[in-house]
Amino acid sequence: MTINTLSQDGVQRQQMPCLTKMERMIISMQDPDMGIKLRNQRLLITVIPHAMTGVDIVEWLIKKFSISDEEALHVGQLFIKYGYIYPLKEPRNLILKADDSSYRFQTPYYWMSTRWPASELDYAIYLAKKNIRKQGELIEYEKECYNALHKRINHTWDFVVMQAREQLRASKQRRKADRIVLECQEQAYWLVNRPPPGTQDSIDHGPERRTMNTRVQLNAEFYKKEIEHNRISLARNRVKSSICLESYVKYCEQYQPHDPIMQGCLPSNPWITDDIMFWNMTSETVALPTKLRVERWSFCFMELLNDPMGRKEFLTYLEKEFSAENLCFWQACEDVRHGETAKIPEKVDEVYKQFLAPGASRWVNIDSKTMEKTLEGLKRPHRFVLDDAQMHIYFLMKKDSYPRYLKSELYKNLLARAIVPQETKKSVFPFMRRQRHSSPSPALATQTAEDDGKAKNSNSNSGTASRL
Amino acid sequence: MGKDECKTMLDALNKVTACYRHLVIALGSTSDSQNLREELKKTRTKAQELAVANRTKLTSLLKDKGISKDDRAEYERLWVLFTSSVELLEVDMKRSLEIGQDFPLKVPRRHLIQTGMTGSTTTVAARAMSVQNMKYEADANIDTVDLKELETEIAQVDQMMEEMELKVQVAPWTVEAKQEAGAELKSTVSVGNSSVGIISICEEEPKETVEGETGLMKVFAGVIFTAVLLIAGILGYLVINL
Repeated sequence: MTINTLSQDGVQRQQMPCLTKMERMIISMQDPDMGIKLRNQRLLITVIPHAMTGVDIVEWLIKKFSISDEEALHVGQLFIKYGYIYPLKEPRNLILKADDSSYRFQTPYYWMSTRWPASELDYAIYLAKKNIRKQGELIEYEKECYNALHKRINHTWDFVVMQAREQLRASKQRRKADRIVLECQEQAYWLVNRPPPGTQDSIDHGPERRTMNTRVQLNAEFYKKEIEHNRISLARNRVKSSICLESYVKYCEQYQPHDPIMQGCLPSNPWITDDIMFWNMTSETVALPTKLRVERWSFCFMELLNDPMGRKEFLTYLEKEFSAENLCFWQACEDVRHGETAKIPEKVDEVYKQFLAPGASRWVNIDSKTMEKTLEGLKRPHRFVLDDAQMHIYFLMKKDSYPRYLKSELYKNLLARAIVPQETKKSVFPFMRRQRHSSPSPALATQTAEDDGKAKNSNSNSGTASRL
Repeated sequence: MGKDECKTMLDALNKVTACYRHLVIALGSTSDSQNLREELKKTRTKAQELAVANRTKLTSLLKDKGISKDDRAEYERLWVLFTSSVELLEVDMKRSLEIGQDFPLKVPRRHLIQTGMTGSTTTVAARAMSVQNMKYEADANIDTVDLKELETEIAQVDQMMEEMELKVQVAPWTVEAKQEAGAELKSTVSVGNSSVGIISICEEEPKETVEGETGLMKVFAGVIFTAVLLIAGILGYLVINL
């Protein structure tokens, strides 16, 4: 649930989607036939309509969406938390109770909105009004907020006082029942948007970025840009969801055995058992790789290149085929791309001398157009000057050498020799406590000695890796 | 005097802004109606007129180079009050557009939120327009027609605010408020006692037992009881004596 801030004039935001959904549900609750049953709230003389009990809310949710009791209670609780419904008896206790405690709907102006977050000025006006009404008897945290606001927006404080007085005078014009409702509504709104200390803040707006001077002129220029932007977005290439979902499912199926969370981790998950054999077996410089690792190289070319051991194996294969310079060139280009900026000119020079110059020792076969472009760019070397050539060589290797490597004897031998680690047997001794949390820091020397002892003990019980 | 004129005009704008906000709060709820939409429209127009009048007055005063430093500080303070008022008005107008679009009155499947407010807002609107009674003369489809006008009006107000920012350079942090914290408590009597009495009772009512009200009821009942006793006593005496 992220807040999307389209800042054209700095203030335009989107309503959070969950809030839009809640609003739709609230509106469907108002249906005279299918909505919630409403009763009257009786306060000695005044009768205020449109109150409902907690049980009504929960029952309506169960009936409308065919969900369980628990779920209905949870969803109802969300309405209270976000201020769409407020309790009448205990306004500060924003909890949905599935009994006959009464609740009421909040007016749309006071609905929770990420588009119109509650402003400090409004809060100051509310506190000033409350101050007048209660003759200075504000609650502790409200007093603090009041004083803080007085300091912060001191320049408009006169306006706050004036507006507070006028708003009170305006509400005096309504009849008593409406006045009570208005007060309850406003109080509920501020209890949600400025929760008292110690209660949960239901919506976290994040830091405000006041960009006051980015107001846009709504003239022809602006609209031309908008039209262009929308035209480009319409012409964007889109993939049908059936196709991309298919490929997504295929990807998940292919990678599932390799995922330590989904499939488990052989020999054992080091974070759980404190047994680092897994890391030892999958490190770069191990003699024999695991079977899973070698299989993974056959998924796509990038997997092979990303694994240092895979790269080494591929290099050995290419040396046999007399096309090792391709991989070396590719590696050198990667080094230029990701290396230090200061060293780029000299690195590029090296690459040119070794790979691109006519008659170079390890000349790579690039087509003439790319070669011309690269040579042109070499006059002013930057990080990405070798990109086109690198891409050409990459696709060459991918289409030509890579499939042949996967069918080669070298790869098949390695696959046959690769080991499948056995899962460590769980300790049968009941009084041997296995640590279920990660090892303590190396700074605690005494403890690490203990842990080593324990790890060695658990290792001795585990099965050793077996060869196929 | 320029200052007093300004102040009265600002007060008027302030009053109309407060009433407009009050009316927008009622939008979308059960006290929404054709009349409310018309009231919103009229209040809005009046607020804009006042805003424009205020602006011309204040800009002309601030542009005058020959005023004293104190005067200038005072006018800057009034300017900040004016901009706050217009900002509040603008936000309320935008919100009323949004809510008005979400809750059209004529569509039968779109239900208004039952908030418990059922009274009308005529008195508030009358206060805003400074008339005794409101007259309603709009056609039936004001809720949709009005929204288009509202959009243009919002654009106008936006433009006005932009121009204001460009033309008048008043730094808000240099302005100091005249009122200290808690100044609203030393308010005029009309807002002070009478409303406090009633509204504090309203606060108590929804939460706990209504002590003030029951006390009043008790006194009233006692008075009636003693009156009935007295009358019964007098009648009895007369009956016995006659």
